[in-house]
Amino acid sequence: MKHLKAFLVGAGWTILVGASAFASEVKIIANPSVKADSISAHELKSLYLEEKNSLNGTHVEPVIERRGPAHEAFLRDYLGQTDDELQRYYQTLVFTGKGLMPKTVSSDADVVAYVAKTRGAIGYVGVSASVEGVRTLAVADSRGGERQLITRVEPEYPDDLQKRSIGGTVRLKVFIAANGGVEHVDLIGGNPILAESAAAAVQKWKYAAANSKTTMEISVPFDPKR
Amino acid sequence: MYRGVLGLIFVSLCLCQAPMQAQDFTLFDRDVQIHGFASQGFVHTSDNNWLTMNTSGFGSGEFTDFGANASTQITDKLRIGAQLYDRNLGGLGRWHPTLDWALATYKFTPWFGIRGGKVKTVMGLYNDTQDLDFLHTFALLPQSVYPTDLRDVTLAHTGGDIFGDVPMSKRFGTLSYTAYAGHRSDSPYSGFAYLVNNDGAVFKSFGGLQYGGDLRWATPLKGLLVGVSRMNEDLTLDFLNGATDVRLNSTSDWTNQYYGQYSRKKLVVDAEYRRYWTDLGIQGVPMIQEDVRGWYVAGSFQIAKHVQVGSYFSHYWLNYPISGLLSSGTGHDYDKVITVRVDPTRFACIKLEGHFMDGYGLPDQYPNGFYTANNPQGFKPNTNALVIKAGVHF
Repeated sequence: MKHLKAFLVGAGWTILVGASAFASEVKIIANPSVKADSISAHELKSLYLEEKNSLNGTHVEPVIERRGPAHEAFLRDYLGQTDDELQRYYQTLVFTGKGLMPKTVSSDADVVAYVAKTRGAIGYVGVSASVEGVRTLAVADSRGGERQLITRVEPEYPDDLQKRSIGGTVRLKVFIAANGGVEHVDLIGGNPILAESAAAAVQKWKYAAANSKTTMEISVPFDPKR
Repeated sequence: MYRGVLGLIFVSLCLCQAPMQAQDFTLFDRDVQIHGFASQGFVHTSDNNWLTMNTSGFGSGEFTDFGANASTQITDKLRIGAQLYDRNLGGLGRWHPTLDWALATYKFTPWFGIRGGKVKTVMGLYNDTQDLDFLHTFALLPQSVYPTDLRDVTLAHTGGDIFGDVPMSKRFGTLSYTAYAGHRSDSPYSGFAYLVNNDGAVFKSFGGLQYGGDLRWATPLKGLLVGVSRMNEDLTLDFLNGATDVRLNSTSDWTNQYYGQYSRKKLVVDAEYRRYWTDLGIQGVPMIQEDVRGWYVAGSFQIAKHVQVGSYFSHYWLNYPISGLLSSGTGHDYDKVITVRVDPTRFACIKLEGHFMDGYGLPDQYPNGFYTANNPQGFKPNTNALVIKAGVHF
């Protein structure tokens, strides 16, 4: 029975933490003036489709590559369009007065150079591209746990809180480095008295390595009856 | 005629090979984008002359258009731009350039923005892009809903829009809305002006207040879009009949349009229905009533990297008070169309299109491509047409 309970708890954790990050074959980069460490896949799509033009209050200017593997991967992973469809979309905006054509360059190096020198610029490059002078943004998405949790450390549940039936769920945003280590953790919500313990445990977690930084939102439950 | 054919060949052979790029320059520390397009067509018909061209002999190449625009971002939220457009389609346009659009857009948030100036009217799937040949598989959009000779009726308004995208959730998709109000003014080289001028009168103006909206829903089913548009108008048609200045005012004028589009990988399927009602009269006494209903179903498929094929069935008819007296071919048009589009480069396209039409509408009332002035011998009930069109854009 005890083993069954442990299995169920473990399964619950796996479901909870497997929520929301995925890896792509491209890195998202931004000019250092962009005040963000991460961006959601939805925000990224909205920026490139010119539905919005700011990120965390910073005006953002997207740049696209004319062709190449990074361009193909970006279209497939984030926009869900072919290059022809994207070009038609931009042309519709441009020729009806409803938008502008994004800056278009030829290579990863050109993207990095343009993003580095242009305030508010955001772009994408292949995972192996050198990204000196720009900021790499983690991308979060709700498409499911492609970033596998390898090592989990259980949070400390203070005895006096558990005895007094003080529990609840702490929600955290976890920034995971490409090598799988947790860079830092932000508190999103939940019982603050338990947050420190949850964050300290999650800082020690280890995920599978990926091509770029990612973020995910997780929930850490504290059940007094556990 | 031959000039048009030569133009078609020239556009096809020369410009298709040009590595065309958008031109940018800096003005007052702002990047200004320049874009443009041009197309040249040729039309041959089996019987009736079509679209104010003499198409039934050798054919006609009086089917040219081009445009260019400049736009720039002034501030994070403010953008301005303008586009000039010129066309020569038989007796329409006549090489007189027009200000296609010229507007300022201020976007407060993704879900609320405003734009003002001369604005292309958002209506149905293609109203605002109907002149942009390179965006469409077909050389001519379904004429039941997008009659190219009568395009001035719905194309643009001088006024303002509010617009936005309202994301709901992944479960419910995105709603996009546009509401507008402004003034419509038909060109003296438009279809209705051509009709009036060839009816022994002298066209002075046709236009007035225009307002309405569009609501479209990108459904959670990937690739499926549905929408509805509405336009109301308060119009005045002013012309000289001999020495008499005649003014017809609309007592009721509206358009409803319903549409849907489904795209999946290389397949795109469109369907639209439009009903247009107008009642023009003098001091409330009806003189001209039109109740035009059109619909089409179109499909296109990309069979190779640079090749698309498409087909549509387009139908419109008029509920005319004396429809029982109409002769065969009158009051309707059924148009079956097949198309091949080839894109030899990223900046050029060539289209070959066949139309098989039954009917010719009501030429003296709502011409929609067929005019008595171009067919003095009378109309035949059926018309087959070959359309060849080549275009470039940058």
